Amino acid sequence: MDFEPSPDQSAILEAVETLLAQRAGPERAIELAAKGEYDFELEEALSEAGFVDVALGEETGFLEAALVVEAVARAGGVVAAGARLLVAPGAAERPLPGPVALATDRIDRPVRYGAHARTLLVADGDEAGVVRLEPGEFEPVPSGYGYPFGRGARSLLDRADSLGPGSGPRMRGWWRVALAAEAVGTMAAALRVTVDYLKQRRQFGRAIGSFQAVQHRLAECAVSVEGARWLMLEAAWQGARPEAAAVAAAHATTAAARVFRETHQLSGAIGYTREHDLHVWSMRLQALRLELGGAAAQRRAVAESRWAGGA
Amino acid sequence: MEFDWSPEDEAFRRDLVAFLDQTLPQDWEEMSKQGPGGEGQAQFSREFAAGLAERGWLTQHWPVAHGGAGASSWRHAILGEELWSRGEPRGPQYMNVNWIGPTIMEFGSQAQKREHLTRISAGDVFWCQGFSEPEAGSDLVALRSMARREDDVYVVNGTKIWTSYANHADFCFLLVRTDPDSKRHRGISVLLMPMDLPGVEIREIPAVVGERYFHEVFLDEVRVPVSCRLGPENEGWSVVTYALQYERVGAPRYARGARTLDRLAEHARERGLLEDPTILEKLGEARALCEAARVLSYRVIDQRAHGAPPSADSNVARVAGTLADRSVGELALEIFGADGLESGSFADSNFRMAMTAGVAVGATEIQLNLIAGRFLGLPRE
Repeated sequence: MDFEPSPDQSAILEAVETLLAQRAGPERAIELAAKGEYDFELEEALSEAGFVDVALGEETGFLEAALVVEAVARAGGVVAAGARLLVAPGAAERPLPGPVALATDRIDRPVRYGAHARTLLVADGDEAGVVRLEPGEFEPVPSGYGYPFGRGARSLLDRADSLGPGSGPRMRGWWRVALAAEAVGTMAAALRVTVDYLKQRRQFGRAIGSFQAVQHRLAECAVSVEGARWLMLEAAWQGARPEAAAVAAAHATTAAARVFRETHQLSGAIGYTREHDLHVWSMRLQALRLELGGAAAQRRAVAESRWAGGA
Repeated sequence: MEFDWSPEDEAFRRDLVAFLDQTLPQDWEEMSKQGPGGEGQAQFSREFAAGLAERGWLTQHWPVAHGGAGASSWRHAILGEELWSRGEPRGPQYMNVNWIGPTIMEFGSQAQKREHLTRISAGDVFWCQGFSEPEAGSDLVALRSMARREDDVYVVNGTKIWTSYANHADFCFLLVRTDPDSKRHRGISVLLMPMDLPGVEIREIPAVVGERYFHEVFLDEVRVPVSCRLGPENEGWSVVTYALQYERVGAPRYARGARTLDRLAEHARERGLLEDPTILEKLGEARALCEAARVLSYRVIDQRAHGAPPSADSNVARVAGTLADRSVGELALEIFGADGLESGSFADSNFRMAMTAGVAVGATEIQLNLIAGRFLGLPRE
């Protein structure tokens, strides 16, 4: 047991954060969101620097990959980092060409990164499948929820190459870890933006952030986010063990609802505008909260994996 | 960063579980329903904690110089998890090894260390905590119990309240004001007061949470030798702060919650409720809360293992523990339904054990204040 990052882990984090500071951030996210675009340049840069291969690296693994995914989400990166860095290597046990989108069989509903993906990973029952997508096979879906979305005809799934028996639960496990990692990074950033704002914003002759009614709600958010973070990292370390992965996803998606609600309520009207950065992260939380069946499904998955022998 | 137990720690947990299976009496479950302060449980703890001491497990996390084995704080966390999940067979003595002993190690005189650490590590001494007063609850520094110095004794007058285990205790870790003109944090001292001194009176406060849970301790002209003072006179607040950091994550309530949940799920299965998506959701949510409390407690234990100074992470862990406890307690009643209302039933004893979580060891609101200030860096008024 050791909760402190090793020198190697610190080095990886520092390297990815340096890269993200140059190429990601709220301004870039807002610019891309306005056009419904994907950050192919960022994905290319992450790939060139080797971050895409961290999970299956010789000296690195899924925990390090989870730390990178969390950092990308914290920086508001418009890339499918969780799918490419965690779920693809976890489910297929080999790298897959990016961008990678994740779906259940309902690809006729908005799929995160669907319109830009070259690889579609599908969790359907006991087997996961891979569909190579050609440009235009998914149509973009306009959305204000912080990610580019796309939908496609369900007949595309007929082309899926199975990853073999047992790959379905494996993919769902890694999907839950990735979902939690993205939610944790996103929540941490939303909370940081809000705390910074409430330290400066004065009403009634004092900083709003000095009111106890405000402080307690932010402190409760911090408890939820911290818990989700360590659960997620432990689940990544444990190879997305079904129960651990479901616990991380359940806790993170529950926290996401709380963090959205509180950061917006406490930021007041400025929080609803595009002139304030909160929306870059907050709106994404709603999308994450609904993924893979939503928070209720994650909670049921916890109970099923622990007490009913399912996943 | 890595999250595996060492093989030695895993072996220790296995040995400990085997020891518990062997040592806990047949009627242990019944005996432990009133909590660590219950009559039978407290008495049994003398035998039990002595047994742990014999195996070198009771204070293994203490330094060798103080009779420990210098084991890591992780080892002590395993002990805490396994014992709390079974209802704490150490009785009130868990406090001794979690925070009273370590605080005496840090601030005690040679004589105090010799006397108290020896007795604590033998597993046969009970302590209680003399912090809260009728007018000083969450606002602990408003305490008014007064110790007047007369040569080599302090003459103590005042009232302490909500004192668990006072009925069993040999000693009280007592906060008093030694400077009558002082206010707030200044002028407070800690006394390691023997409970058998003349002038100490105890009254049980009947409570809905369990028998002999709360007491009031009246101190009337109690003459406490000055040699019982822990740390410098009038500077007891730093001693208290040190002690509280250990206390907050001392009792791994999440471990009991997790064990209770397993039992609830078993019960739900027997009644065919495990097919019910609502029940599954609630069980899953409560399990996630217990797991979050576990990793957040581990975070604090890890900081301790690294020798890092105490931080607001202990407040984060404490709040998470409260959320977990509360959610399991409420779910126990929901799953058992009206059957849970019967005194002594499984749901009843778990619910009543859980209901104090948000108030014990510092109210949740105080923990949230500390998180807001120290963890998030939000300004004070």
